[in-house]
Amino acid sequence: MTRTDLPTEPAPVTEWVVTGEPIEDIRDRRRRRAAMRKPFTSILRHVLLIAAAALMLYPVIWMVVSSLRPNELIFREPGIILDSFEVSNYTDGWNALSYPFNVYLLNSAIVVIGSIIGNLVSCSLAAYAFARLEFAGKKWWFAIMLVTIMLPIHVVIVPQYILFSQLGWVNTFLPLIVPKLLATDAFFIFLMVQFIRGIPRELDEAARIDGAGHPRIFAQIILPLMVPALATTTIFTFIWTWNDFFSQLIFLTKPSLYTVPLALNAFQDSQSSTDFGQLFAMSVVALLPIFLIFLFGQKYLIKGIATTGIK
Amino acid sequence: MRGNTRRRVGVLVGLSAATMLALTSCAGSPAAAPEAEQLELSDEPVTLSFTWWGNDTRHAATEEIIAAFEDEHPNITIEPQYTDWAGYWDKLNTSVAAGEIPDIIQMDEKQLSTYAANGVLADLGAYSSILSTEDFPAATLGTGALDGTQYGIPVGVNSYTIIANQTILDQYGIDLPDDESWTWDDFVDVSEEVASASGGATIGTQSWGFEDGGLNNWLRQNGSALYTTDGGIAATEEDLAGWWEFLLEATEGGATPDPAATVERESGGLAESFTATNASAFGPWWSNQVQALRDASGQDLVALRVPGTTDDSAYYKPSMFWSSSAKTEHPAEVATFLDYLANSEDAADLLLAERGVPANEKIREYITPKLDEVNQTVVEFLDSLSVGDAPPATPPGGGVIETIIDQHTTAVLFGEMTPDEAAASFLEELQTALDDAAV
Amino acid sequence: MSALGELRTLKGGSAPKGRRQNKAAYLFLLPWFLGLAVITIGPMISSLYLSFTKYNLLSPPKFTGLTNIERMIEDERLHHSLLVTFQYVFISVPLQLALALLLAVVLDRGLRGLAIYRSVFYLPSLLGASVAIAVLWRQLFGYDGLVNQVLAWFGIEGQGWISSPDTALGTLMILNVWTFGSPMVIFLAGLRQIPTMYYEAASVDGASRWQQFWRITMPMLTPIIFFNLILQIIGAFQSFTQAFVVSGGTGGPVDSTLFYTLYLYQRGFTSLDMGYASAMAWLLLVIIGAFTALNFWASKYWVFYDDQD
Repeated sequence: MTRTDLPTEPAPVTEWVVTGEPIEDIRDRRRRRAAMRKPFTSILRHVLLIAAAALMLYPVIWMVVSSLRPNELIFREPGIILDSFEVSNYTDGWNALSYPFNVYLLNSAIVVIGSIIGNLVSCSLAAYAFARLEFAGKKWWFAIMLVTIMLPIHVVIVPQYILFSQLGWVNTFLPLIVPKLLATDAFFIFLMVQFIRGIPRELDEAARIDGAGHPRIFAQIILPLMVPALATTTIFTFIWTWNDFFSQLIFLTKPSLYTVPLALNAFQDSQSSTDFGQLFAMSVVALLPIFLIFLFGQKYLIKGIATTGIK
Repeated sequence: MRGNTRRRVGVLVGLSAATMLALTSCAGSPAAAPEAEQLELSDEPVTLSFTWWGNDTRHAATEEIIAAFEDEHPNITIEPQYTDWAGYWDKLNTSVAAGEIPDIIQMDEKQLSTYAANGVLADLGAYSSILSTEDFPAATLGTGALDGTQYGIPVGVNSYTIIANQTILDQYGIDLPDDESWTWDDFVDVSEEVASASGGATIGTQSWGFEDGGLNNWLRQNGSALYTTDGGIAATEEDLAGWWEFLLEATEGGATPDPAATVERESGGLAESFTATNASAFGPWWSNQVQALRDASGQDLVALRVPGTTDDSAYYKPSMFWSSSAKTEHPAEVATFLDYLANSEDAADLLLAERGVPANEKIREYITPKLDEVNQTVVEFLDSLSVGDAPPATPPGGGVIETIIDQHTTAVLFGEMTPDEAAASFLEELQTALDDAAV
Repeated sequence: MSALGELRTLKGGSAPKGRRQNKAAYLFLLPWFLGLAVITIGPMISSLYLSFTKYNLLSPPKFTGLTNIERMIEDERLHHSLLVTFQYVFISVPLQLALALLLAVVLDRGLRGLAIYRSVFYLPSLLGASVAIAVLWRQLFGYDGLVNQVLAWFGIEGQGWISSPDTALGTLMILNVWTFGSPMVIFLAGLRQIPTMYYEAASVDGASRWQQFWRITMPMLTPIIFFNLILQIIGAFQSFTQAFVVSGGTGGPVDSTLFYTLYLYQRGFTSLDMGYASAMAWLLLVIIGAFTALNFWASKYWVFYDDQD
């Protein structure tokens, strides 16, 4: 194979696993080369990106500015120039409902953490089976798995509610967490299957020669290599659960168990007054944790095969 | 082995499916109403669930009432469940489907008959030994009764009103119309006057085509009504077409803004409305919204009678009802709490006019001096109306009326339907909804 | 031939091994099987049964046979809502994916402040469908919104984009594209799964960045593109909350944003016609299922897996 004639399909992985030039060396070389042709295009890229970011962010900035305005001025004075600085929306909003806002943050955190653990464990197990093992009816089970995410929640929530109410689970976090432990978020199984299929099979086979069984291959080879998929699952589960209004509305009735979306909704009444100042202030408070987690957690997203290194 | 697993999974699936089918059929079968003399308060601890919709102000006031009630009745615990309007019905419907009906329910006029007809609500007449209704005017109380059975105690009363912004009118040197005598044409004329005087900067009036209040008033002024007393539709195609025709003319003449602006503000709710943002001189509202509008606008807002008001075309609309689950295990305690909500001065002190001006006349008299200035003018306004009988109750299935009105008004304003087509289609859709609910 | 290659021929071979994998597979799948049997299948079968009933949630369901299906055939609003949904799916999904892929590639590496950019571009997705989103969207596309203000600088008179029947659906598509952060994150993760070694080899051989993108990045990313495509199509068909929040639940103006699931919700929870809503849900399942199957079939021709022989 001549080198200039690039294969449409990447070369078999064995080639580079076996040739094994130290990865760090190559990477340094590449970085130095990249640094040389930078200045102009780099500035242009930043300008474009900043412009795009401003467009993306306008509504969010508007919300933050409004959260610092007196409530009655929010819709009377358009624009995002702030002429007053009303922190009272935050202090009042924090205590506006039956419990201080930290109660709702904590409740949401419990549901979110439970859901994340559930999804990570159960979905990765199932994904390993679908991606790596041969078993009877595999295609059918996979199809069934996809079908389970095709029904809109509005028609399954009522039977689900009846089921959980018979179990006595309504008004606990169980109906929100236990399904995740049982891999009902099939999206993530599918996501992980796609990632595992991107991991060269030679690695499993090599481990098998060493006498490793499936649990060990799964835990020691596959899991470390699918960190980006696990991180994606974590981030998505976090956001979806943190923002999920409908199922939390249906399953939680005690105000002491209310989560952030339920608390935010309790501010509004379209028929009479909604304190938008406080609503926006608490929305900003609710947005902060997910934003920070994404900001600092994203380095795990990009810890792929390329960075973990393959021995 | 393989077959085994399959069989086991099959059994599990079958089991759960069978349970589900059985469960879905166990909801909401009507329970026998307890006889009045059976009511006996328990000495044991009793827990009641109480559900309502609203915003944070209402939640706080209601929780204070609960606390005050629990102080008086140490063995009764009230568990509050609250949410916003849209989520409220999703949640209530779902829990009713599972046979878990909250003991005390805040009920809406448009939904009352639907829930009553399906056996969800208790006959409050059976509670009469504890729950007194003698301070309620008969006509108002009647709005919570269906075929002679009392399913809801009216909480507050409202009236449909045109809110005028005095500050804006002054700015353009326009006199406040005389609402004793004004007609719909006068209303449209003065709105157009505002719009042209301001060069389009200020809107004449918000549209009144997005809820049943506007329609009901129009129909009553024409000697008709939306529904008949036996649960049919009374409105005629001609009356309906006339209503939309007039709305359309008002829009084309510039009294109301262009349809897109109207629709945008309608979906924004009260806070983003033209009235609340001081962008229009007039707007149709319910009297219990005056306070919120005043707070939002900060300008001088005045409640006016609906144009063309005839002797008895105005009416009091119950803002909401207190209802009880037909399946409650503690009817005596529920009755005690309902009595506290409906008749107690202590509860009134805490609630003031948050759920509308009290329907209970004795309580209204008691509480009026304690209300703030804005709400006192609302009470004055309500007292000054000569009201006719309440309109016939919404029959089962009529809860969709707002959606249907909204749809047809929008279609007319955007020219997708003529007023005549809208009238015919409206009657057909409403009739279908009523027929569906009746079976 | 290497030892690895010899091992490969063993794979999926003899009977005893096949059985062992069955056992292992079912063990790995145990939580999912449990969830399927206990939580998922029951409600699904219930809703299938309810499709053939009249059920108002307040009283027990009554079996009505095929009535709901007959009504669906004649229901013009249902047909209209399907049309709206198809437009939404086939316009906004490709746009969103293209933008997500573009920014994922740009934000993959080699730029200062990447973490900040990524987070900022992801921020709109974090807002999800919070109660504030409708207000925020009116601040952008409403009469007094940013878009009209910018247009005014150029002397163009704007309009109420959200509430004109001609443009309302368009703004919802933009809202969907605006939240391209989710597929972008998945793309980012996918990009990092591509061994740098391929790029090293290619750049040593003098391949341009452009060539590298088409010859390495794209083929290696196809499983992830495929996943995102399936996920976004299913998600877009079920799209509900944004239309619900922005239109105040009406699907207006003049039904121009009446998504299928929004109409389904109106029937099920507003009109208390859960039997009909269930029937609608199963029709949607058939439609989504057909598109997904089509996608899987087509994927044979363009998706490349590293574990294929």
